[in-house]
Amino acid sequence: MAVEIMKEKYRSQVREVVLGATKDEGGTRSTTIKVGGESTLPFLHFEGAVPNRPVVAMEVWDVFPEEWPQNLKDAFGDVLNDPAAWAKKCVDEFGADLIALRFKGADPDVNDASAEDCIAVLKNVLEAVGVPLIVYGCGKLEKDNAIIGPIGEAAEGENLLLGVAEQENYKSVASAAMAYKHSVIAQSPIDINIAKQLNILISEMSTPLLDRIVIDPTIAALGYGIEYSYSIMERARFGALNGDRMLGMPMIGNVGHEVWSKKETFIPVDEEPGWGDQAERSLAWESVTAMALLQAGMNILVMRHPQAVKLIKQNIDELMQDNSY
Amino acid sequence: MIIIGERINGMFRDIAKAIREKDPTAVQEWARKQEAMGSGYLDINVGPAVSDRVSAMRWLCEVAQEASKLPLCLDSTDYDAIEAGLEVCKQPAMINSVPAVQEKMDRVFQMASKYNAEVIGLAMNEEGIPKDAESRVALAMELVANCDAHGIPISNLYIDPLVLPCNVGQDHGPEVMETLRQIKLLSDPPPKTVVGLSNISQGTKDRDLINRIFAVMAMANGLDAAIADGCDEELIAAVATARIILNMDIYCDSYVDVFKNQNL
Amino acid sequence: MGLSGLEIFKQLPKTNCKECGYPTCLAFAMALANGKASLDACPDVTEEAKEALSSASAPPIKMVKVGTGDRVIEMGDETEIFRHDKRFNHPTAVTVEVKDTDDLEARLAVINDLIFERVGQEYTVDMIALVNASGDAGKFKAAAETVKEKTEKNVVLVSEDAGAMEVALDVLADRKPLVYAANKDNFEKMTELAKSKECPLVVKGDDLNSLAELVDKIVALGYKELVLDPGSRETSKVLADLTQIRRLAVRKKFRTFGYQTIAFTSKDDPQEDLMQAGVYLSKYASIVVLKTDKKEHLLPLFSWRANLFTDPQKPAQVQPGLHPIGDADENSPVYCTTNFSLSFYLVEGEVSSTRIPSYILSVDTKGTSVLTAYADNRYTAESIAAAIKSTGLEDKVKNKNIVIPGLVAVLKGALEDESGWDVTVGPREASGITKFAKEKFA
Ligand code: SF4
Repeated sequence: MAVEIMKEKYRSQVREVVLGATKDEGGTRSTTIKVGGESTLPFLHFEGAVPNRPVVAMEVWDVFPEEWPQNLKDAFGDVLNDPAAWAKKCVDEFGADLIALRFKGADPDVNDASAEDCIAVLKNVLEAVGVPLIVYGCGKLEKDNAIIGPIGEAAEGENLLLGVAEQENYKSVASAAMAYKHSVIAQSPIDINIAKQLNILISEMSTPLLDRIVIDPTIAALGYGIEYSYSIMERARFGALNGDRMLGMPMIGNVGHEVWSKKETFIPVDEEPGWGDQAERSLAWESVTAMALLQAGMNILVMRHPQAVKLIKQNIDELMQDNSY
Repeated sequence: MIIIGERINGMFRDIAKAIREKDPTAVQEWARKQEAMGSGYLDINVGPAVSDRVSAMRWLCEVAQEASKLPLCLDSTDYDAIEAGLEVCKQPAMINSVPAVQEKMDRVFQMASKYNAEVIGLAMNEEGIPKDAESRVALAMELVANCDAHGIPISNLYIDPLVLPCNVGQDHGPEVMETLRQIKLLSDPPPKTVVGLSNISQGTKDRDLINRIFAVMAMANGLDAAIADGCDEELIAAVATARIILNMDIYCDSYVDVFKNQNL
Repeated sequence: MGLSGLEIFKQLPKTNCKECGYPTCLAFAMALANGKASLDACPDVTEEAKEALSSASAPPIKMVKVGTGDRVIEMGDETEIFRHDKRFNHPTAVTVEVKDTDDLEARLAVINDLIFERVGQEYTVDMIALVNASGDAGKFKAAAETVKEKTEKNVVLVSEDAGAMEVALDVLADRKPLVYAANKDNFEKMTELAKSKECPLVVKGDDLNSLAELVDKIVALGYKELVLDPGSRETSKVLADLTQIRRLAVRKKFRTFGYQTIAFTSKDDPQEDLMQAGVYLSKYASIVVLKTDKKEHLLPLFSWRANLFTDPQKPAQVQPGLHPIGDADENSPVYCTTNFSLSFYLVEGEVSSTRIPSYILSVDTKGTSVLTAYADNRYTAESIAAAIKSTGLEDKVKNKNIVIPGLVAVLKGALEDESGWDVTVGPREASGITKFAKEKFA
């Protein structure tokens, strides 16, 4: 008996966004990366195209990540004081598709690093690796607004993915992207309506930016409200496939950042005997969070633990295998 | 609700002139304009302009497609003209329309299956338009059963419950609403529904207001599409709003613009 | 779930004899679809048609139970593709595989001991899958006896050898285990076994087509307590098959696939095993059988399950009460929020990043957010004051100062009167807490 396979016909597809720029394209990257472009729900190759695999970016900081749990720090050996070496290790040894450079040191409460300091670090990292870069500020609005312009200018043409534009504060990032040919992370606080509106606001500044936006729906960690993010992503993606072009952007999730501050990643087993070994549990917390988000349509995962990265890359390999009937 | 832009119709003077003089300018202008304002299809109707409806239809389809990427809705009672149009359509089109009359259904559903076209079926037969919902639905059911018998997915069928002007057939109003609701019970997946929106306001004074209110009421009862003035800003805003309230689009503050710009 | 007019019409005699009181069969079909008539009114409906119509109105996925008494696990009975449309009803049964060649007593002791507590919820492994790895019926039977004696968990008996199944099932039949599996060669015998012991049966195909064929054969033998295994084991293929089964059952009401599903992981590395299990749990498996029995791997899986199967219509809640952040002591600041999980986690995240040991007082607002709870009279001066009392906060901190969300600044006066505490109005959004804390408490 031949079962009649059910294939949905969608009206539309996810926009394809290119990250990074090679020499010919005005940058210095040895490779560029494409994300998005799918015309079906996650990994349903049997009914639509999934032209680009989801990618994994690994986080690199401009300062030593003091607050990370010991087992996470240990996984990197002695490179955590040197962003360039750290980035290189992520790419060469751990297989990172991109580097997400976070300027934690720019935080007025950390080192209050200046735009020039950040640019120096950025240049070193650009030199050390050939993959495209994501750039995050320190998370403090005023400071980030002050440094994002100069950073964008210093890397003109590299097509960095610049973080983060928010509803109340999108102009400085979007302007930097517009002026210096970068892409933008549009971040909304677990709110699909704001996610959509923000894309419209950005596109009103410049229509071509529509194809250079990546949505950060704000993800929550496993056990901390991840189901909200999961459902928002599923709704956005379903809407996008059904023709909602203002939600049809690829999505990025700050997995490592959310996960590694949670108790499950650092409480030792002797404090919570029911939770099992802390080292294994912590990286599983990160990889399972990422796994769930992939199933809701995540295109770029920003992660920390090399072993979790390895696991999720393997999971992606498997899920990218054709399952047509 | 999808708007089937009604403006390319030989009833209008500029289109009639275009057809007679084979000057595509007006046709293409309207094609572009309706697309830019969010129409989902372009209705193509030769109207009374010329006697050779077959070649006029073919020409209209060709020139409209040069200006717009929207699918076409071929509007004629002359099935040869429709077939001529279907032959030149670059993507699946919609046939407008067929009543629940057996020999007509045979011809139209055969064409639809050959050209992979959608079909508008009218809830009427030789005896005309019934008044009560039950009889309208029975005719709709005949259309559904015939569509199914030709192996055409029911979701490619649009049923038009047929609207009468509210100043003549006021008592039809509630029946039309009820018909729209019941059509959704006919099959799973159900057929879609469509109305000729301006029929409701023929001969009345404030036509735009009546059209607009009728559109949102019908949407609440399950209306999927309307042949309407795709350039009526207030109608479009009302439709966009109804789509939000019915949870068909995801809200954002600029939802009206998003709806309008969906073809850009 | 109602039937559509077309579905009913197809089953009617189409003679338009008018006996039913309607002018045509079509009209009668519509009346039925509208619930205005009863099928009995047509004298000429065949028995097959009646059967087809009644089964088509059954729920799209049949509920099947494993186990007995308090330990019964209900699965299936799902109606959705996306959790945001309506909740998924029955959480996936997490099942750990053991073999009849293992040191069973030791393994069962470990599995029995797997009890997890997280955010006030307790989880345990739902079932064990006992695999006839030895290929020996005697060993399988002995293993079943050990299982019977050493654990109360529900059981999946895994052997495609009907002889081995028979002896093991004899031992465990009154625990109503899940019988795995009927394949194209053994299905008659397996069906007979499952039927005679009234145990649910897994039907295992080589692909979706052979699975459908086999299900129909087993249903024809008169057994419907079924669970489906499409036979695939590669991650991507299993995802596709489980998606098809769910879609065909729910969207197309394809009765043959109207049963719950079981998925097996295929990895040796426990972390990879966990990832695969996570994919299957996310996308529709009613039962996931995995190999790892380590707490550190199962805890994330159970947490994901708890999240995925929450009711999206109901706000998720955290335990109301007093939550210390860091080494909070008598000089620590106190922040007050609701017990809506997202608000709480946001505040918790921001407060911990201030690096100032603090307390968060989470008031029981039935999981609603600050503004909703305020509007609902659940987040009021009285309820906050009561929470201060009931948590013993008075004895825990000296300064008697509490920070309330900026959104409900209006509560300040009333709360001060009600509680006798000083009230500080905090920022409107959680994201403002760091700056606020630095100015106030650093
Ligand atoms: S009694 Fe049965 S066969 Fe006769 S018209 Fe009614 S439904 Fe049709």
